[in-house]
Amino acid sequence: MTDEKTSGLIFNVQKFSVHDGEGIRTLVFFKGCPLRCRWCSNPESQNAVPELSYSVQDCLHCGTCAKVCTRGAIRFTDGTPVVQRQLCRPEPGCLCTRTCPGGALGIYGKTVTAGELLRQLLEDQVFYVRSGGGVTLGGGEPLHQPDFALAVLRLARRARLMTNIETCGQTSVETMLSAAALLDTMFMDIKCMDPDKHRAWTGVSNERILENFVRVREAFPRLPITIRTPVIPGFNDNAGDIEAIARFVRRFSGVRHELLPYHRYGEQKYLRIGRRPGMGEASLPEETFATLREVAEKLHDDQL
Amino acid sequence: MDASSSAVSYSPQEKAIASGSYIGNSEESACHARFQNMFRRCFKNMVPYVDVKRAKYFTESMKETEGQPLVLRYALAMKHLAEKLPVYIEEGQLLVGRVGTDKGRYGLLYPEIIGDIMGEGLDAAKNNLSAPLHIDDDDLRFVKENIVPYWQDKAFHKKLIQSVPVEMRKFTYATADGSVPRPYVGEQASMNGCLQWVPDYEKIIRKGAAAIRAEAEVRIAALDRNNARDMWEKQFFLKAMMTICDAIILWARRHAEQARRLAAVEKDPVRRAELETIAENCSRVPELPAGTFHQAMQSMWFVQSFVRLERCVGFMLGNGRLDQYLYPYYKADREAGRLTDDQVMELLDCLWLQEAQFVNLPISAQSATQHEGYAHWEAVTVGGQTRDGQDATNELSYLILRSRRECPLQQPDLAARIHARSPEAFLWAVAETVKVGQGFPKIYNDEEIIPLHLAKGAPLLDIMDYCASGCTEIRMPNVDSYTSPCTQTNCTAAVETTLFNGRLKSFGEELFSVETGDPCSFRTWEEFWGAFRTQLQFMMRYALFLQYQIQQMRGQTYAAPLEDALHDKAFAACMDLDTPLSIPGTLDLGFVECIGFATAVDSLAAVKQFVFDEKVLIMRELLDALECNFEGKEHIRRMLRSGHCYGNNDPYADSIGRDIEATCQEILSRNFEHTGVHLDLRMVSITANIPFGRVLAASPNGRLAGMPVSDGSSASQGMDVNGPTAVLLSNFHTKNWASTARAARLLNIKFTPGAVEGDEGTRRLVSFFRAFCDLKLWHVQFNVINQKTLLAAQKDPQKYRNLMVRVAGYSAYFVELSTALQNDIISRNAHNEFGAAR
Repeated sequence: MTDEKTSGLIFNVQKFSVHDGEGIRTLVFFKGCPLRCRWCSNPESQNAVPELSYSVQDCLHCGTCAKVCTRGAIRFTDGTPVVQRQLCRPEPGCLCTRTCPGGALGIYGKTVTAGELLRQLLEDQVFYVRSGGGVTLGGGEPLHQPDFALAVLRLARRARLMTNIETCGQTSVETMLSAAALLDTMFMDIKCMDPDKHRAWTGVSNERILENFVRVREAFPRLPITIRTPVIPGFNDNAGDIEAIARFVRRFSGVRHELLPYHRYGEQKYLRIGRRPGMGEASLPEETFATLREVAEKLHDDQL
Repeated sequence: MDASSSAVSYSPQEKAIASGSYIGNSEESACHARFQNMFRRCFKNMVPYVDVKRAKYFTESMKETEGQPLVLRYALAMKHLAEKLPVYIEEGQLLVGRVGTDKGRYGLLYPEIIGDIMGEGLDAAKNNLSAPLHIDDDDLRFVKENIVPYWQDKAFHKKLIQSVPVEMRKFTYATADGSVPRPYVGEQASMNGCLQWVPDYEKIIRKGAAAIRAEAEVRIAALDRNNARDMWEKQFFLKAMMTICDAIILWARRHAEQARRLAAVEKDPVRRAELETIAENCSRVPELPAGTFHQAMQSMWFVQSFVRLERCVGFMLGNGRLDQYLYPYYKADREAGRLTDDQVMELLDCLWLQEAQFVNLPISAQSATQHEGYAHWEAVTVGGQTRDGQDATNELSYLILRSRRECPLQQPDLAARIHARSPEAFLWAVAETVKVGQGFPKIYNDEEIIPLHLAKGAPLLDIMDYCASGCTEIRMPNVDSYTSPCTQTNCTAAVETTLFNGRLKSFGEELFSVETGDPCSFRTWEEFWGAFRTQLQFMMRYALFLQYQIQQMRGQTYAAPLEDALHDKAFAACMDLDTPLSIPGTLDLGFVECIGFATAVDSLAAVKQFVFDEKVLIMRELLDALECNFEGKEHIRRMLRSGHCYGNNDPYADSIGRDIEATCQEILSRNFEHTGVHLDLRMVSITANIPFGRVLAASPNGRLAGMPVSDGSSASQGMDVNGPTAVLLSNFHTKNWASTARAARLLNIKFTPGAVEGDEGTRRLVSFFRAFCDLKLWHVQFNVINQKTLLAAQKDPQKYRNLMVRVAGYSAYFVELSTALQNDIISRNAHNEFGAAR
């Protein structure tokens, strides 16, 4: 199959995305992720299938959705629609989303071909050129759909767009290296150095991730890499964990390391897809974050 | 990424408001001490005064000169004003020449425009809560008893309405006396004395009024006594030129005398020296060429304020390219060690204060609704290119930008001209100024404006030297000659008359425009579009008809000798600028306003999509929903609002926008062929989108009856959900590049301070300017805000759908956050607002 026709599942294309690499960028959100981080702020990105989103604030409680669903996947009880997720197979033609008078129903996930996506990515070319920006693949995990992600990267390269990725690093070495060969910059997460703790909080060990990072670094020593660490209460919000990561990262000269504070802005989205937020009431005090950032920065400075 | 910014950041303006201080930091604001003292005094009483003296002396003189040539009458009236008006020298001011009371903000009365309705207008304005005015009872009585009766039948307002054929008045006026406008095709000529204007200040600064006077005198002597026409028309014109020069020289001399009187009794030696300098300056300029930077500014300011006496254009009389014509004086004084940058900052403060105290009095019903908030548009222009195509930025450009960053006045406006080779440092300074959050400067694009006007016939050197004028227009001070305020068409009303077969719901069941068929009988989108085209072109033709009439009437009512004296071509041809004839060597650049563009585009796109393409709605259902203002039909409204919208770089909607522009331009281009006047399509609603929406029924884009239509060339309120790049691209794709019959497009873009935070944010904003420049869009301006906006957004999320906020190391659409988190962010805001945190 040609790159143009290779298709994949995405759930958003965000223009004027400004915190995902240099300049003004377009960020593509891939749907599907091999990790199940408890703190995930994009829960709609995890499952590799389309999901129905239901917003109770917009619901007019009219019951239309239950009547029009041909699969009987929406049950209308006590004036509220309840989505039977095991029956629900959302697709663009679904009547529930099209007829919902309150606009309370929507679909996360849309199948597009790499060619269609490229046309969308090209729309903001004038802004990329002027800002040193380009395209960022994010999600979800872009490399969870390797054929599609690589097709998009090849097309973007051919169109002379600057490419960046935000990856969790959990993919085959071959995919990782193929992707790295098509990138101008790379953002990768290292969440924790302890494999067991990593497995407990994300569902997978960190061994593959760390190996992928090292292999990319060896194969593409000039590729600018930024390692990101989300600071998560109860998981790695302590000097020991952060120091361990920072020590590991500083072995590789020129690799940047950034900490990102935990936030709760994804909570609403859990509810929309019928899930419960994984972190409860946990929060990260600003001071804790500031202290940990100093820890990481100090180690980084030592390297220099 | 700046991971530490886990809170919303504030624009410098918001910070300043929160702390109750000025924007400039303490180090910088030392040079603004004078400003701060004067600011407190001038703006202590926020209700502007109505000064009736201009109306009084103007009327006195006009009564005396009846029957004489108009331009001479105006010049004589100006001379009378120069003799009679009180001279004010305010405490602390370094520039003098205000033309009304020194009690604070003030405005003047222009009975020659609205003398017929001025009494009632003042009564109403006194009680207007949103924009009140202060007028003394004695003055009000004087106006009613002595001024109004003389102008009752002479005022332009009255004469214009009488001249519009009776059967057509309904298109513009809702009442027989024209006191209530009907915003189908609006006219602005009965509230403004002139289309926005910029005189050639450089001429008076460099040559002086005495030299202009001498030139007129020599030319009178050289007139052919055997040529009766010259002896009649030219002689009187040139006499008027001499008289107006005498008037402004006299006006300046009176200020010199007053300054000397004050100096003699002044105890403070510093102020005494200042008063002596003022006296010296006023005895030299504008009569003679300016010798110093201070004198150049004084000369410029005398002209700008004196034009306000001549006619009602004072609130949109641009300052021109201040950084260009003042630069030689700046440079010479700096090199001679006579001037410091701090002194420049003080003089700029003095100028801004003088300008900001002048208020356009919203007396007629039109101006009250269309120019809310004492609006005025006295734009200072910085940057751009020189006449010979070099980058024009200089030290003054940066000082002026800095001054606007540090000065909390809403006036004057500031425009930055940018071009493909604008220095990065200049764009950074512009971006830093935008980020302050006051909305300054607006950005003009040389890469669109210069080639477009060359195609319209502008001389190369003059268009390279253009300046901002009005809210988005431009002027070439010696080439532009069109003075008639322009008409405004209600583009969304054309959608309504299409849907209701020539009826306008607010007008009733009687035919309003022209019948184009019952839309329920249309089988295809093409039929519907054809009917809309007919309605739109009907409206355009009437707008042009009305504009032509306005132009003729103005020539019989007004003259502008001071502006003539400073206009090469008018002066050479001995023709007053208000003539309906074409002055040799000039260009007549006007416009026809298109209001509610995006609302019309979205409405047509909705009809096309839901009624004709997807066929999920039948026309009858749509019409019923519109007629009942969607009552009980919220589901239809929701569906309509989910359709294709302008502002999202969506070809479905944007191609309709382009077709609307092209449809209007067909008519406008033909008018140009017949009249030689460029009345090109403009999209700059100012606040007129509010009254223009008020008279309309609900529209097919889901807009409710009476709600505002879209502003300028911006997207419908909250419908641009794909970010700011899509807004620019939609603007690009809706422009009909195949025609030159386009004028300004005003584009508003809103950012939160967080979205442009730090150096990274500045760099991004600069790239955004560059891309705007590449796209050859005309104008863009920015809001950088949060606070109240967030609260308002919470109450009305639909409307604020596109408001971007920086929440915690990333940007998101505010309304997509949960209520709890919205509250969280708002509470942090309030915390800061009271100066407690961070």
